[in-house]
Amino acid sequence: MLLEVQDLSKIYGNSCGSCLALTGEEHGRAICPECASVVAINSISLTARKNEILGIVGESGSGKSTLLQLIYQDITASCGKIFFNGLTDDRNQPLNILKAMPATVSHLRNKEMSMIYQNPHLGLNFLFSAGGNIAQRIIGAGERNYEKIRKGALGFIDRIDMETSRIDDYPENFSGGQQQRIQIAKALSSSPKLLLLDEPTTGLDVSVQAKILDLIKELQQEIGFSMIIVSHDLGVINHLTDITVVMKHGTLVEYGLTDQILEDPQHPYTQLLVSSIL
Amino acid sequence: MINISETKTKTKTETKTKIIDVQKIEKVFTLHERNSTQVTGFSDVSFSVNRGDLLALTGVSGVGKSSILKAIYRTYLVSSGEILFHRSDKSVVDLVTCSESQILQLRKREIGFVTQFLKILPRVSALQAVAAPLVETGVSEQDSLYQAANLLNMLGIREELFNISPLTFSGGEQQRVNIARGVIAPKDLILLDEPTASLDEQSSDRVLTLLADMKEKGIAMIGIFHDRKKIERVADKTYEITRKNTEKPFQAIREVA
Amino acid sequence: MNSTTFAFIDEDAKKEIRRSLLKAVALPGYIVPFASREMPVARGWGTGGLQITLSIILERDVLKVIDQGCDASVNAVNIRDFITEVTGVKETVNTSEASIIQTRHRIPEHEFAKDEKQILVFQVPTPEVLTTVEPDTAKQKQMHANSDYAKLWVLLYEDTSQYGDSRISNRYPVLINDHYVMDPSPIPKYDIPRMDNSPVLQLFGAGREKRIYAIPPYTSVKPLKFDDREFKVESFSGISCERCGAQNVFFDEVRRETGNHYFCSDTEYCDQHLEKSNAS
Ligand SMILES: Nc1ncnc2c1ncn2[C@@H]1O[C@H](COP(=O)(O)OP(=O)(O)OP(=O)(O)O)[C@@H](O)[C@H]1O
Ligand SMILES: Nc1ncnc2c1ncn2[C@@H]1O[C@H](COP(=O)(O)OP(=O)(O)OP(=O)(O)O)[C@@H](O)[C@H]1O
Ligand SMILES: [Mg+2]
Ligand SMILES: [Mg+2]
Ligand SMILES: [Zn+2]
Ligand SMILES: [Zn+2]
Repeated sequence: MLLEVQDLSKIYGNSCGSCLALTGEEHGRAICPECASVVAINSISLTARKNEILGIVGESGSGKSTLLQLIYQDITASCGKIFFNGLTDDRNQPLNILKAMPATVSHLRNKEMSMIYQNPHLGLNFLFSAGGNIAQRIIGAGERNYEKIRKGALGFIDRIDMETSRIDDYPENFSGGQQQRIQIAKALSSSPKLLLLDEPTTGLDVSVQAKILDLIKELQQEIGFSMIIVSHDLGVINHLTDITVVMKHGTLVEYGLTDQILEDPQHPYTQLLVSSIL
Repeated sequence: MINISETKTKTKTETKTKIIDVQKIEKVFTLHERNSTQVTGFSDVSFSVNRGDLLALTGVSGVGKSSILKAIYRTYLVSSGEILFHRSDKSVVDLVTCSESQILQLRKREIGFVTQFLKILPRVSALQAVAAPLVETGVSEQDSLYQAANLLNMLGIREELFNISPLTFSGGEQQRVNIARGVIAPKDLILLDEPTASLDEQSSDRVLTLLADMKEKGIAMIGIFHDRKKIERVADKTYEITRKNTEKPFQAIREVA
Repeated sequence: MNSTTFAFIDEDAKKEIRRSLLKAVALPGYIVPFASREMPVARGWGTGGLQITLSIILERDVLKVIDQGCDASVNAVNIRDFITEVTGVKETVNTSEASIIQTRHRIPEHEFAKDEKQILVFQVPTPEVLTTVEPDTAKQKQMHANSDYAKLWVLLYEDTSQYGDSRISNRYPVLINDHYVMDPSPIPKYDIPRMDNSPVLQLFGAGREKRIYAIPPYTSVKPLKFDDREFKVESFSGISCERCGAQNVFFDEVRRETGNHYFCSDTEYCDQHLEKSNAS
């Protein structure tokens, strides 16, 4: 098991203690009626194996981005556990990475996991060149040999079908689609085991979107890593993912093979979601 | 003749072992969008298939043939029953209850599905589309493309089409690309939903020849064919789906390729 | 200037600064905050270094103050006069004689005594090495805690790919004891290798920024550099001091119509070298 999320919750606000029990899909709300806290993620458990591609769909505000941010530890969870790739603590027990030492967390964030954001400003440092952004992760993963870093960066620029001569250009001089490509190159340059993508192609031209999705799929098959991709576009989910997770009100309402979710959805909400695109 | 399953060394003696055992499966769709209407896809379906055999599902339109194949592939979740899959390592998994990850593993190497319609990304050439499942199993790109070309040749696809996206092909051509894609990587069980539906005599003949070759290699198949003649040519058994299900042995007339 | 207490600063303030110094010495390269006091010199003119010196100085100390290597510059003279006035300690220009050397922008050329008894106090304008790459102070803290200096390395990477080498001429980031990266104050690259494994206690004070940090004697100080690249200091090959004839020291370059002229940046070294060559 590469990733194992157990009973993960994220509450915004001062919890009254009953927030989790009073919200979620069965209550039809994510806001606690007692204390008005927002339960962005309510007791979610899920797993991802090596090389598996998970899709997350669900309505706006259902907690998709929050879930990715919790896994990547951009934000701290209210409760729950996350296990990653068999990591253990010093007593050889499975290590809950939410309770790991800062050094372990930064190793996970700099090397083992990468996040690709919809907004390139979150994923790229605009003060650094394209190559510098890629270098940052290669360096973060421990490399200190200039030639190797440079070669690595050039290799990834080439891999995302970009002219290598543009390596020293700065992000603002690239188009939106190119910025996403650079994010992908940066994210993959540390050879992560898990790639998290939050609406990576939303807001781009349809033709650009398609090419980026192709690129992601191609690199995934070539390099081999697991992915969790959030998208409101079921076409993206269909093309890219093996397993789909459906979220509503911070809870997981359905989990299944992507073709099953699309062709034989079980939950009323999933049926609504699927029928609305047909 | 091409070699579809180089890594498989099935012999004739092996062909009588059971590969799948479908026991009393039923599928009821609940349509929440339609006042929770319940639609029965199929019910009380039971059959088994041996390695190297081809079972033909027959029955009138809407009786549930496609749904059964999808249920075996877990594209549909059955409402009850068991689908026991006998793996080559002798272990048995219930395709109804095993994990999604396990199904994904099985789909990679053991269970294939040739659907009625080609579902691939645009911008991928016919050759690449066919080679892809083989590449995924770890065969080199070059070897995969070579085998893909052989297979397309055998199915009568003109070479000038190899590097074009199959989404621009005719229905019959698309279907053959789809079949090639479905059979190129060695699998133990292949599900075929009307593989010859929109093919002319000659193309159908090529496909049936291919299926017969696959049987020789010990591959088991469950297929839906509309044409009685085709069934007679390749099927070992038919399973007729009616209200009252019957499984009757069928004398297959096999032609040598 | 009148003050009733020894060394201008009251005992409580001294205690607090010393406590910060102790912590700084215990965590080499780690930045410790302190409550900077008003000094009778404008902030930005060495008040950080001055407060450190005043908190540690004892009656028996011998003081040297330099500014860019020069004992006679106005700033150096002002600070030295002030300290000797409020403490009565002996002053000197002689590096080997001094027990406390307060400096701005240079490390004296003369080797220090090996007995760890000399203290070098640096005046620091910008203590946080990460400000150039990360403006958010909370994130800076976290980066230090995790020894996450990838962003500094990226600057080095970018300079190397675009200019062939780092363009940093002073304030070159240094890694202390393989943990914290710190700003060595605006000393030239020439002085960076001289901080490594030095027998002196090196203290750094930033008055405006209210920060203190330190390098204890015989501590590893390494400039950030790639494994396959050399750390290049200013090159003065073939150059000698126009005044004293010294070579292999750090020179001040003076541009005149007659061309470039070079003089020892460390005036005390220049004087001594001149004396020696005159004698022989
Ligand atoms: N910092 C915050 N403070 C308070 N509430 C927050 C905060 N961040 C997110 N939320 C709330 O948590 C819930 C989940 O937000 P999240 O961004 O995960 O949704 P999402 O599923 O990604 O939606 P979208 O599809 O619109 O991106 C929302 O109700 C949101 O308002
Ligand atoms: N995803 C679905 N949701 C709801 N009902 C479905 C779904 N799939 C199939 N059905 C219903 O199940 C029944 C069986 O359909 P199926 O497609 O399996 O028939 P078939 O025997 O393959 O027919 P044909 O020969 O026309 O292809 C039909 O009544 C159909 O409407
Ligand atoms: Mg979101
Ligand atoms: Mg059908
Ligand atoms: Zn509450
Ligand atoms: Zn000189």
